[in-house]
Amino acid sequence: MTRFLARRAAMAVLTLLAVIVLTFALVHSIPGSPGAVMLGPGASAQEIHAQNELLGWNQPLAVQFWDWITHAVRGDLGTSLTGGNEVGPDLASRLPVTAAIALGATALSGLLGIVSGVVAAVRGGLVDRFITAFSGIVVSLPTFWLGILLVYVASIRLGWLPATGYTPFADSPVDWAKSLVLPVLSLAIGGAALVARQARASMVEALGHEHIRTLRATGIPSWRLLYVHALRNASVPVVAGLGMQFVGLFGSTVIVEQIFALPGLGQVAQAAVTSHDFPSVQGVVIIATLVVVVTNVALDVLISALNPKLRAA
Amino acid sequence: MATAVALTLTGVTACSSSSASGSSASASDTLTVGMDGDSAANGYDPAKYTEMRQFFESVYDSLFVKTADGGVKPSLATKFAYNKDKTQLTLTLRKGVTFADGSKLTAAVVKKNLDRRNDAALVAYANMAKGGQAEIKQVTAPDDQTVVLTFVKAQPTFQEQLASDAGMIVSAKGLADSKELGTAPYGSGPYTLDKSGSVKGNKYTMVRRKGYWNSAAFAYDTVVYRALPDPQARANALVSGQVDVAAVAGSTSSFVKSRGTGLSSLGGTVVTLPVFDKKGTVSKPFGDERVRQAIQVAVNRQDLVSGLHKGDKPTSNAFPSSFDGYDASLNTTWGYNPDKAKKLLAEAGYAKGFSFTVITSQANQTDLEAIQKQLKAVGIDMKLKAAASTEEAFAAVNTTPLGYLAFNWPEPVVAMQAVVLGGFLNTQKATDKQLTEYTDAAAGATGAKRTEALTKLNARLVEAGWLIPLYESYSYAGYNTKKVKPLTFAGNDAYPLLSSIKPAS
Repeated sequence: MTRFLARRAAMAVLTLLAVIVLTFALVHSIPGSPGAVMLGPGASAQEIHAQNELLGWNQPLAVQFWDWITHAVRGDLGTSLTGGNEVGPDLASRLPVTAAIALGATALSGLLGIVSGVVAAVRGGLVDRFITAFSGIVVSLPTFWLGILLVYVASIRLGWLPATGYTPFADSPVDWAKSLVLPVLSLAIGGAALVARQARASMVEALGHEHIRTLRATGIPSWRLLYVHALRNASVPVVAGLGMQFVGLFGSTVIVEQIFALPGLGQVAQAAVTSHDFPSVQGVVIIATLVVVVTNVALDVLISALNPKLRAA
Repeated sequence: MATAVALTLTGVTACSSSSASGSSASASDTLTVGMDGDSAANGYDPAKYTEMRQFFESVYDSLFVKTADGGVKPSLATKFAYNKDKTQLTLTLRKGVTFADGSKLTAAVVKKNLDRRNDAALVAYANMAKGGQAEIKQVTAPDDQTVVLTFVKAQPTFQEQLASDAGMIVSAKGLADSKELGTAPYGSGPYTLDKSGSVKGNKYTMVRRKGYWNSAAFAYDTVVYRALPDPQARANALVSGQVDVAAVAGSTSSFVKSRGTGLSSLGGTVVTLPVFDKKGTVSKPFGDERVRQAIQVAVNRQDLVSGLHKGDKPTSNAFPSSFDGYDASLNTTWGYNPDKAKKLLAEAGYAKGFSFTVITSQANQTDLEAIQKQLKAVGIDMKLKAAASTEEAFAAVNTTPLGYLAFNWPEPVVAMQAVVLGGFLNTQKATDKQLTEYTDAAAGATGAKRTEALTKLNARLVEAGWLIPLYESYSYAGYNTKKVKPLTFAGNDAYPLLSSIKPAS
């Protein structure tokens, strides 16, 4: 297990490094420069050159890269070109918002999806057909449409939850939870439908395995057969799918952040790309990569725990 | 002149700014404003913006301020005077004004602000920078209370330019450190930024500043600006009571109204297809008035508005509906009538139609695509070509027969003289006896006679096909009727003055 973890951790570090180099190269290959962004479209070439000189943009790429990475490992991701604020603290303040939405949506979609998928596989018949058909419809509903619908019903008509905005946990745990319900639901509903379909298929497959039939013949209680033996087998692809869903949701929160006006990473990423704010773009990419890498390592560990045979892979 | 007429080739410009937070700022002494974009996306230097007057009004004073009737009045400047030929403007500054950082307002500080005008990043100064329509040659500060602006050419109404972002004054300390100015405002305005209650790009909290000279003009102790760029999110926040006032997009205006929320509207901008080629130099058919009239009646304005511009109103009038000279009957006479269009084309000798090219921009592409289909139905093939550069877009007045324009008419006679008859809409110097006659008549008349002349002028503009009006664009401002008095606009500014927003009781 230790070797397995060490191997995965080494791969994670290499991936992160590769993404950093790639992002750095991409950012530097985009037409324009920080000086041009800061001074606007009317600036002369000399003015832009002087500004770039000041920012170190005219130095050799290797020097700039070394400078950036040595600062980054100390937590200094530079200064935003447009707002003048420190990128690191700004992103750190937004990370909990996006993480809360993505984690909440993943957990909820996992819970709803696994329960309904397992019920469909175990009960079969009309229940199975209903859940399969319903999840097929729900999975095709766009997130933004669901979000708008939820706001209309829960906020505008019923007045139960805030239509927009985010309250930090430290300010009020209750308001924090309230501000997350609708964004999480609008992401989780579609995700739950996907998980349900996957869980149903895995469970049907697991129930067909020979050892399950053997166990059934031994007369063990059916709840133990279903929820311990079959579900454990079925859970590997479902957990892997949920992990990927978390990564996907982390990226797609930009839509709900827009609809619900939440101060998350998606909002800052969108603004940074639009305004060519290079340091902020780099910062967002690094954080997003870290999330993907850490999620993948965690997934590997979890899956190998569920199925020890996979550790050799 | 060009700035006064305020027109754009790229379509109706949206405004921007907003913010969001979940905390309920519902205290009666707090005003929460939903903005349609990030209020301080580029930091807190007001000169970096051109449409952030409402936000920066909270933290900066400007030399002049807008008034409720759309005019301007002195603010940091208490008096102003022009020399005889209007090439020099002398400002007398208010005494005893201090900035939030403790420093004092002096003429030297004002000079320092305006001397930044050639910095290309400071877009608010573009018009007064080198090469601008209102270029300032020199700024001097002969004494602590006096600032003298010298222009390259006569500027009879320059004070109007100092009543918005360009006239806002940053303290010397703020100017000295652009990094600091990027993270906090350095103004002398009624409020200061509460950093702990603010999240960049999302929410900006302003708290009342003690000792401000004009405190009584601002009703609220705290003003929270929430960035809500998504129109539906902004409307949702407004109708659910999360914000007290907000700019409302046309597409959500019906929803806001249906929920019983207050809604003030401001028209005045007519989006139109101006015909550049009245002589048929670029495209021969356009030299024939009947062809221009055929296009006039081939456009289905209602469809255009229903599909793409909800909240706006279709019009076949050159003038906005609130103007003297507006004539509702023109909407029928020159309304959608494809049969009439085909007949007019046949009479002009183009029964089989003809083709021409227009230059499109990102802002007008969709509208022109819709109109392209409508013209196709009567046999006119309008080809669309995306502008490869700003130069190409502006050159369209000489290279294409037709354009796309959001036309804001501050003064019809001046706009006619400077833009339609003698300006960039008529580079071929086409003439129309009636248009000149009615313009002159309106210029020299008052009361009923002026109305009569303007009515004729409006009708002739449409009949001659010099302008092909599409729809009148409306700006909407929504408000919580229980908390805020009905909103009013300052002239044709789409954002109510912060000082004009008052509690309902």
